[in-house]
Amino acid sequence: MLRTITPRNARVKRVMKNREAKTEENIKTAIFIRGSQTSQIVNDALADLYMLKKPHAVNFTKKNQIHPFEDHSNLQFFSQKNDASLFVIGTHSKKRPNTLTFARMFDHQLLDMMEVSIEKGTPMKDFKTPKSAIGMKPCFMFNGDMWDQNPNYIMFKSMILDFYHGQTVDKVALAGLEYVISVTSGPMTSEGKPGKIYLRTYTIVLKRSGVKLPRIELVEMGPSMDMTFGRMTEAKIDVWKQSLRVPKELKPKKKKNITKDVMGDTVGRIHMGRQDFDKIQTRKMKGLKKRAAPTEESGESGDKKQRVDENDDEE
Amino acid sequence: MDVSGVLEAHKQKFKSVSVEGKVIPLEYDLGLLTAYDQNPIDETELKKNKDEYLQSLSRDNAQLLFNEIFQLPTISDDNGVMAMLPVPTTLLPREKPLPKPKPETRWEKFAKAKGIVNRKKERMVFDDNTGEYKPRWGYKGINDDGSKDWIIEVPSGANPMEDQYEARREAKKERVEKNDKRRQRNMEEAAVASKMDQKTVNKGERPNMDNARAMKRKEIENQILISKNSTASAGKFDQAIKGDLKPKGIKRKFEPNVTADLSKEKAGNMSILDRVVGKNGEDLVNVRKAIKATKSRK
Repeated sequence: MLRTITPRNARVKRVMKNREAKTEENIKTAIFIRGSQTSQIVNDALADLYMLKKPHAVNFTKKNQIHPFEDHSNLQFFSQKNDASLFVIGTHSKKRPNTLTFARMFDHQLLDMMEVSIEKGTPMKDFKTPKSAIGMKPCFMFNGDMWDQNPNYIMFKSMILDFYHGQTVDKVALAGLEYVISVTSGPMTSEGKPGKIYLRTYTIVLKRSGVKLPRIELVEMGPSMDMTFGRMTEAKIDVWKQSLRVPKELKPKKKKNITKDVMGDTVGRIHMGRQDFDKIQTRKMKGLKKRAAPTEESGESGDKKQRVDENDDEE
Repeated sequence: MDVSGVLEAHKQKFKSVSVEGKVIPLEYDLGLLTAYDQNPIDETELKKNKDEYLQSLSRDNAQLLFNEIFQLPTISDDNGVMAMLPVPTTLLPREKPLPKPKPETRWEKFAKAKGIVNRKKERMVFDDNTGEYKPRWGYKGINDDGSKDWIIEVPSGANPMEDQYEARREAKKERVEKNDKRRQRNMEEAAVASKMDQKTVNKGERPNMDNARAMKRKEIENQILISKNSTASAGKFDQAIKGDLKPKGIKRKFEPNVTADLSKEKAGNMSILDRVVGKNGEDLVNVRKAIKATKSRK
C-alpha cells in the first residue's frame, strides 16, 4: 500500500534508519483516533490519555470510519505511515456506549486488542490540582487478585504497562517520579463475569517523616475512569512468542567460574590444561639429582653423615 | 541520658512510613516501577466511599513501592541522585521483529583476518599548508581532489601538454566510481548470502559469505538461461553470441506412456500434490481463496 521510499538526502535516510528494526527499540508511539460517533466522555478520555502519553503520541482530530473488530486494515496503514504501534480508538453507539479500544501492533500487523466501556469518567480538567510535567515516567499499581488469573485482566495490565512505561532504563532520578497510575479490580459480578476496573491517576508528594524514607501523600490528578470489559482479540501464539523474543545483546550476561562460598567469600575457578608432571619445569635441587652408579655408596653416605654429625657437635 | 523519650516525641510529629494490614506481601517489578497487590479488595468500603478508599489503598501501596525503590543502590549524577533499576520481569512485546544481522563485507573479512581494528580518529586535522584545522573528509576537507592547489607540478612521466587539474578531477571521479562499484558488489553478495544461508540468518547470526561470489555468478547464469528460454522458439534459433554460455545438462527424459507398473506414475503425481497442497506446501496455495474462487465461478 505504501510506496517504498528511497532516501534522496541524509535527513530522510536518518529517519528511515530510525524506523527500521533495532535491538534496543524506540519508545512506542500511540495514535488516538475518534470513531464515526463519539460522546463527551469518550472525547475527554481520549484527550487525557493523549496528554499522559505525550510526546510519543499522535492525536487524530478528525473522525474516522473505523471499526477495529470488523476490519483492522486501516490500523495497518496508520501504523506504517506514522511508525506507531499502539492505538486507542474511541467510539460511542447505543449498543456499546463510551467505548475505548486499545490495540497493539507487531511489525505493523495487529497483535492484540481489547475493548473497555467507560461507566463513569472524570477528566483531568475537572480536578483543580497541579499536574505532573509532560513526558515523566510513571509508577504503576495493580490492586486486586484478578490481575494474574483472568485473560481480560492480563491483557489490560499488559496494555497499560506497554502504553505508559516509556523507555526501559537502568537508572531513574529519584526526584523525577512524579505520578502514579493505580488500577484496581472490583469484585466479580454475580454472573461470574469480570467486574469493573477503576483507573486512578495521582501525583506523588514526598513529605518528611523523621526517618530516611519519605512519607508519600497522593493528590488525585486525573483522569479517573470506571470501566467494564468488552470484546477482546488475543494475539496468535506464534506471533506473540516472536514478539517476546529478546535479542542476545540484551540478555543478562552470566558470570562464569565465580561463586560465593558459604562464608560469603568470592571464590574463583581457574581451569588448567592437561599437565605432564614428568616434563614440568621446576626449581633445580642439586641434591636430588640422580647420580651415576656409585662404587662405595654406603661408605660415602656414611662419611657424609659423620661429617654432618661432627659439625653438629662443634656447634 | 535517656534520649529515647525525645526521639519518640520527634517521631510522633511525623506520619509513619510503614504500612500495616497487608496479609499478602506485595510483588514488585522495579524495572517498570510497578507494584502488584494481591490482597483482596474491601467491597463494603468500595461501595461506601469509593474514591477515598481507592486513594488510601493507592497511598499505602505507593508508600510500600517507594520504600522498595529507595532501598535500591544509588549513584550520584549530574541530574541528582539516580537509583539503579533492575531488569524488568514483566515481559512486554516488541513493536518490530528482531533485526536481521547484516552479512560481512569483503573489507570486514580482510580486517578480521589481518587483525585490523577500527580506531576512532579526530574529525579535524591540522593542515600545514593553510595553517588551520580542516575536516579529515567531506566538505572542504584536506583530502579534496587537489584541483584547488594554485600550482601543480607536472609529474615526471606525464605529457607536458596535459591539463593536470583535469587529470586530478578525473582521478577523483574514478575513485568515487570504484567505491560505488564495490558498494554495489557488497550489497549484491549480501543479498545472495542471506538468501542462501537462511538457517543462520533466522537464528540471528551473520550468514556465511564464503560461497556468495560463486552463488551470485550462478544466479546470473541462471537468469541468462531463463531469458534465453523465454523467446518464442525457446532459444533454439537465436543467433549465437560470442562467449555465450552453453546450457549444461538440460536433457528431457520422457517416460513411456503406457507402463505395466503404475506405482511410478502414482509416486510422481503424489509428489506434485504434496508440494502444492500437502503439509509441506501450505504456503503455495491459499486454500480459503481457492474455495472462494471456485464458489464464485460456479
